[in-house]
Amino acid sequence: MAEEAGIPTISMGNAADRMAHIRPPRALFVKFARGSMFGEPGNVKRQRRIILDALDALKTMTEPGTIQELPYKWKRPDPE
Amino acid sequence: MPIDIEKFKPAYEKWVEESLQDYQAGKMKEIIKKYPFIVPDGIPWTSYKGQPSEQTFALVTSGGFYLKGRQPPFDTVSIHGDTSFREIPKTVHQEDLAIAHSHYDHSLAEQDINIIFPIDRFIELEKENIIGKVAETHYSFSYVNDVVTLVTETIPKFLSRIKAEGVDVLFLVPA
Repeated sequence: MAEEAGIPTISMGNAADRMAHIRPPRALFVKFARGSMFGEPGNVKRQRRIILDALDALKTMTEPGTIQELPYKWKRPDPE
Repeated sequence: MPIDIEKFKPAYEKWVEESLQDYQAGKMKEIIKKYPFIVPDGIPWTSYKGQPSEQTFALVTSGGFYLKGRQPPFDTVSIHGDTSFREIPKTVHQEDLAIAHSHYDHSLAEQDINIIFPIDRFIELEKENIIGKVAETHYSFSYVNDVVTLVTETIPKFLSRIKAEGVDVLFLVPA
């Protein structure tokens, strides 16, 4: 409803089936459990990186309903 | 409106009636299976324009956050969930927040709110001029099933707040 009111949104998500139902306008998909969309507690670098990914996605996602999967894995180092 | 609330309402009321017993027994998988999810006709869309470095960002989470001792916790008992939201100031610290949400494990977020509500990272990006401004107010929702009240009452109120604050982009983080 924010989009209808003229405000673009970017959403995080971790459940492919739920995202297919809800169809967010722009979304980043992470393979993390509920309650930790930005990874492990205290992983500042990863939290920052995911926000930067979202800022990029705002610019690059031009089709409604685009979902981009992020490469991060729980307790594994971020890819370069 | 891509969400047909008049069509959803009777389906939701039927779901409440049929699911109450399972809900009270904690059979969450069963009741989710029966929930009358609405598939919108189209995806609502506003094109993104401009640069993050010139814009105001607000965070919205469904993590059930509220300000300890200053705001009431969310209702975690009702099958309808809680359709209200709490306003979380930009200046919030980990120790100011509590979580009222019975349907996810919040033990990790209690160690670091930034894994659902990355306010500290947003403030850092604001200082570095990567984003223009972190809004003064952010928003937490909790577990909600009653989309009727959410769509007809809560969301219009929420949208008027973010518009009044001049928010350009919403960053949505479900729990």
